[in-house]
Amino acid sequence: MIYYDNSATTRPCDEVRDLVTEQLASDLFGNPGSLHKLGVAADKEYKRVTASVASILGAKPDEIFFTSCGSESANTAIRGFVSRNKRSGSKIISTRTEHKATLEVLSLLEKEGYEVVYISVGRDGKPDLDQIRENIADCSLMCFTHVNNETGAILPLEDIVSIRNTLNRKCAIYLDCVQSLGKLAIDLGKMGVEMASFSGHKIHGIKGVGVLYVKNNTRIDPLILGGGQQKGMRSGTESLLLASSFEAALSAAVKAREEAYKNIREINSYLRDELAKRGNIILSPDDALPFVLNCSFRGFQSETMLHCLEIYDIFVSTVSACSSKAKKVSYVLLEYGIDRMIASNAVRLSFSRENTMEEAEEFIKTVDEIYAKYLVG
Amino acid sequence: MGNVILARMGEVTLKGLNRGNFETQLKHNLKWRLRGFGKLDIYQSQSRIWIEPKEEDNPNFADGEAAQDIMKAVTQVFGIVSVSFAVKFEGDFEVIRKEAVEYTRVLLQEHPEYKTFKVEARRGDKSFPMDSREISAEAGGDIIEAFPQLSAKMKDPDFILNIEVRDFNYVYSGKIMAHRGLPVGTAGKGMLLLSGGIDSPVAGYMMASRGMPLECVYFHSHPYTSDQAKDKVIELARIVSGFSGTLKLHIVNFTEIQLDMVRNSPQDMITITMRRVMLQIAERLAQQNNCKCLITGESLGQVASQTLEAINVTNEVVKMPILRPLIGLDKQDTCDISRRIGAFETSILPYEDCCTIFVAKHPKTHPTKDDVINAEKNINIPNMIELGLKDVETIVI
Repeated sequence: MIYYDNSATTRPCDEVRDLVTEQLASDLFGNPGSLHKLGVAADKEYKRVTASVASILGAKPDEIFFTSCGSESANTAIRGFVSRNKRSGSKIISTRTEHKATLEVLSLLEKEGYEVVYISVGRDGKPDLDQIRENIADCSLMCFTHVNNETGAILPLEDIVSIRNTLNRKCAIYLDCVQSLGKLAIDLGKMGVEMASFSGHKIHGIKGVGVLYVKNNTRIDPLILGGGQQKGMRSGTESLLLASSFEAALSAAVKAREEAYKNIREINSYLRDELAKRGNIILSPDDALPFVLNCSFRGFQSETMLHCLEIYDIFVSTVSACSSKAKKVSYVLLEYGIDRMIASNAVRLSFSRENTMEEAEEFIKTVDEIYAKYLVG
Repeated sequence: MGNVILARMGEVTLKGLNRGNFETQLKHNLKWRLRGFGKLDIYQSQSRIWIEPKEEDNPNFADGEAAQDIMKAVTQVFGIVSVSFAVKFEGDFEVIRKEAVEYTRVLLQEHPEYKTFKVEARRGDKSFPMDSREISAEAGGDIIEAFPQLSAKMKDPDFILNIEVRDFNYVYSGKIMAHRGLPVGTAGKGMLLLSGGIDSPVAGYMMASRGMPLECVYFHSHPYTSDQAKDKVIELARIVSGFSGTLKLHIVNFTEIQLDMVRNSPQDMITITMRRVMLQIAERLAQQNNCKCLITGESLGQVASQTLEAINVTNEVVKMPILRPLIGLDKQDTCDISRRIGAFETSILPYEDCCTIFVAKHPKTHPTKDDVINAEKNINIPNMIELGLKDVETIVI
């Protein structure tokens, strides 16, 4: 099996599996809110895990909150911010290439009367900095994605933060770090963002846990009300198991990061060359994160290529689903200005530290076989 | 005393000397369809079939609400016209009038808004000392006495209370309509060409409603069609089998054949060529499985391959009759039936063949014999048929 769908989800790593198995069988099942010693033990461990995650991410422990997923983190950040900071204005800056967890929230806010300015992006996936400069004066929040999930395009974060610092220091920045975590260096204390979201299962953790970062002095309203857990930011009994699994996944990812990056950069460059040689069009920008490679395959609709690869136990993904009636094409690729026909053949290969060069060679061999066997017309 | 289901037979009762065969088949089908509802007694008297649990504590008969699922299953058995949930008991008229009042009491608890009613009595037991008019009048009087808010109304009452006096007595109110038709198994078997669309399951349903047991054939072109598309067809076959009874679904691996066709025959005739091959494979499968006809969901003029000219050139490749129950139906009517049989939501799942590459942008709508000869000159149809028959997965549903 060759698993090239790591931007969708990843296989839980050994560290996570071992930790979860062990903790499930232990006495660490108490409710961190309980007053007896089982609860106290769980609470102590929960605090340790929170502090550890915070330290790895370059944040303070009271800036880190555990949620159920990246989408919950995004929803809490954006909705929580505008709800709490009504007086700082009703203008928001973003792009149309954000993840749906951001776009759907923004669309709801538009219906509620907020003005959302969507900055156009170039063929390289980068937002037009001049448009940001023009709009930032009366803007209260900017929402961006650190690494785009479909193309791997990296946000010019430093430029954006510097524009903000020069032109409107009051404008907060929310950054979706779901795809960049474990792949790019993340140091929240130095990045200049006020809020950020993360997800466990994209870094070889398990589904059901995400993290929300809210910088001290940034005030936001919670999305989920209840018992006031996690300092009232996210009610609901804390899951020590899920939080610990996140810590284990994060530690492992950060430890392996630099070597994995080097390795995947080589694999990516090999695949880019080989695929381009065969007349396919690489849609990921040249300077994209090497963990994502979006390619338009000549003569194959996205879904057909996906099913062809599936025959050989190779798993990729496509956002373009074709049915005989409605043809859905990736809104992200269209926003990049990519031709609809080319976008409708787009397939995303996404890698993780587990992928090898041998797999990449096997992949290319298989693609050749698929062309020989299944290409029509 | 206990709860029973009363099912009324329709067209079956108009049959002459062979009526017995139809009735036997109907009871057999009911038994099969209701196999998941506990041990049941299914017996018949005149044009009615009574279904009652052998064990008293069968939860499917606890009350009208609990009986919804089994009643729905009964309505899906072709040959039944309508279904009611009744209370069955023994005794003379004194018992009957007491039960009638009791039944009304429960009914009024559920429907306090009811103000008018009518009693309809039937007497199967002609030795019973009162005739049906007298039974209705007496029971009606008791009910008004017990519930003064009610008054009798012969035309359009809020509810009708039915009393039947036979070997046992029965009281019930209301009925749900069934799918009518003739019991499946009373006609010969047909092979349905099942795709993932709206039409073919409806076509299968319609032929089954005329007593025809079904088998289905589906042509699968992985990787051009996804495995979800195949799962969808299996689900559609399952929905049809709720009406037709158990059936075999033959899944023909069509990939190689289709690729050969696309590479070696003209694009604008591809659908016609494909259908000609499909029909021939379907006919061979039909012969192998003792089916006497093919069934398609074609409707005249709906798409390029369903013009009269196209039907002519596809029809000619097989000897078996091809039944096309939807041929004169409007698409809207087909959709209505599809909704009624619970197939629509599945049919419109977006897993139709994603192989737009196989469909010509401008297909020939009026193909001639010459077009067909030309289209097939570079492909070996007999080989294709053999290839298709070699790779068939059969699922019993």
